[in-house]
Amino acid sequence: MPSQDSMEPTFSLPIGLPLSSSHSVPLPFPMSHGTTTLAFIFQGGVLAAADTRSSCSGLVACPAAQKILPIHSHLVGTTSGTSADCALWKRILARELRLYQLRHGRRLSTGGAAKLLSHMLQPFKGTELCVAATLCGWDGGEMDDNQMTDVENSASLNLEKAKTQCLSTAVGGQQCFGRERSGPSLYYVCSDGTRLKGTLFSVGSGSPYAYSVLDQGVQWGLTVQEAVSIAREAVFRATYRDAYSGNCVDLYHITSKGWTRRNREDLKEEYYREKERQSGDSQRIMVKDFKGKAFRRMGGEFTAHSLALCRKVQSKSLQLGVKGVDCQSTSRY
Amino acid sequence: MALFEVSGFKPELRGKITAAGQTHVVDRPNHYTFGTKTQEFAVPLGVDPSGFLKSCSQDGGVCIDLNHGTTTLAFKFRHGVIVAVDSRASAGSYIASKEANKVIEINPYLLGTMSGSAADCQHWERLLAKECRLYKLRNNHRISVAAASKLLSNMMLGYRGMGLSMGSMICGWDKQGPGLYYVDDNGTRLSGHMFSTGCGNSYAYGVVDSGYREDMTVEEAYELGRRGIAHATHRDAYSGGVVNMYHMQEDGWIKVCKEDVSELIHRYRKGMF
Repeated sequence: MPSQDSMEPTFSLPIGLPLSSSHSVPLPFPMSHGTTTLAFIFQGGVLAAADTRSSCSGLVACPAAQKILPIHSHLVGTTSGTSADCALWKRILARELRLYQLRHGRRLSTGGAAKLLSHMLQPFKGTELCVAATLCGWDGGEMDDNQMTDVENSASLNLEKAKTQCLSTAVGGQQCFGRERSGPSLYYVCSDGTRLKGTLFSVGSGSPYAYSVLDQGVQWGLTVQEAVSIAREAVFRATYRDAYSGNCVDLYHITSKGWTRRNREDLKEEYYREKERQSGDSQRIMVKDFKGKAFRRMGGEFTAHSLALCRKVQSKSLQLGVKGVDCQSTSRY
Repeated sequence: MALFEVSGFKPELRGKITAAGQTHVVDRPNHYTFGTKTQEFAVPLGVDPSGFLKSCSQDGGVCIDLNHGTTTLAFKFRHGVIVAVDSRASAGSYIASKEANKVIEINPYLLGTMSGSAADCQHWERLLAKECRLYKLRNNHRISVAAASKLLSNMMLGYRGMGLSMGSMICGWDKQGPGLYYVDDNGTRLSGHMFSTGCGNSYAYGVVDSGYREDMTVEEAYELGRRGIAHATHRDAYSGGVVNMYHMQEDGWIKVCKEDVSELIHRYRKGMF
């Protein structure tokens, strides 16, 4: 193969120096993936969600960081680990994928991108590089019109055949051998060499909290609205319990037409809405206990105070452009 | 004592032996220390357990990591307290028992859960049960949940740093209503509405936080407890077996169910991938 397809990183290491050198700078504090990111596949494509807190040993370095980085029109990567490492390697991956697309006339599949990233990170295994990413993308399917030539017409016909073939067997999550699989696809890549294909991943210190909420609700047949609300609830639960996750939630939805980004939502609103719900309930109980029989009929209604607060929260949420969210929208099992 | 004379034991050392010579003091009617001033176990002279353990948890040396390998949860709601635990006892990567009992029934109004070292939990909670019974006999009324949890936490503080491993929740119903306390081997004692302990606790927190409402019905609360344990056992390797669930009501606790988690997960995930 010509050297242009080599996988070596662009900066050269000094010859003869072992990678785990004796005079490397020690880490200032033990690194952990202080974040919550998640991604899952459903009938409407791939949904990726993440919080926006960037922490540095107990200090919130940035409350509005971006942990989901788009790589190209149909591929998005969530990042966890060291922010600098993740941002750099995502950019290197984006550059390599674009070069592949220009050379071969088609986008590299998500699995191929995952393999590429994994091989690029392999020379740094054993060093303190820390990248744990999930690559969420849509393979095959739509292609740009101006890239179609005679050769690619036949290739695209094959793809169409493969797509119908694959979609009929796609429901059980089975692999389609011999042809490029098209549709939503999700891979987890880690700098220690792990590369896993799956339908649901959550990465970071808040991931256990998110996993259980996702395990409850994620199914293939979800609508987009339901999937968004489950992803949001999962990130909210993780930020509720984990100190290193918080602030806002970012949501990206990848379909055959590419990725779309939803407005960033501040989870503070969700927290206050839930507190309101809890205090509204307990106020109702007090009314029942201490007042006389005449007031017991009021037990099912909101008191004036909690009603006013609910209205205030609703108007605030409309201001932020969060539509269609009311007190009952968060998923209860 | 006769044995001391026969064995030629030197009497000036008698004062240095802590618990062994003093057990008869504990049971007198005017003793108010509830077994906390005198230590249950004698520590041999010249041995420093906390120093030894400190050296074990430093980087670069041998690291003895005491994990609480289980999932237990408990939450208070309008109709009492729900306690749900799994039933897997693990020894490293070996499953020692799939039907371990992690809830100790102290009396009909008091329950204790166990996570951490099985031996530590069983021993200290049985000791707590003994102290609660003695309290009731001496004072003619049942011990409160706050007092019972305080007894346990003081016992833990006596051996702080010496390698005990216990994370327990004391749940009960006393004159102040439903009570729930979390007691730790560090001596932490916290009162709250909802706790989950063990290495599967984060998974349980996600589920229970998501579905918790103070005014749930009893059936909803049972379902929430079941789901919390089931999803935690699904993701955590050290939890599994069956869900043992208890409901603490005003007139005592009842055992609600004992369901296999694999069947529960199968039921919940029907229609998923």
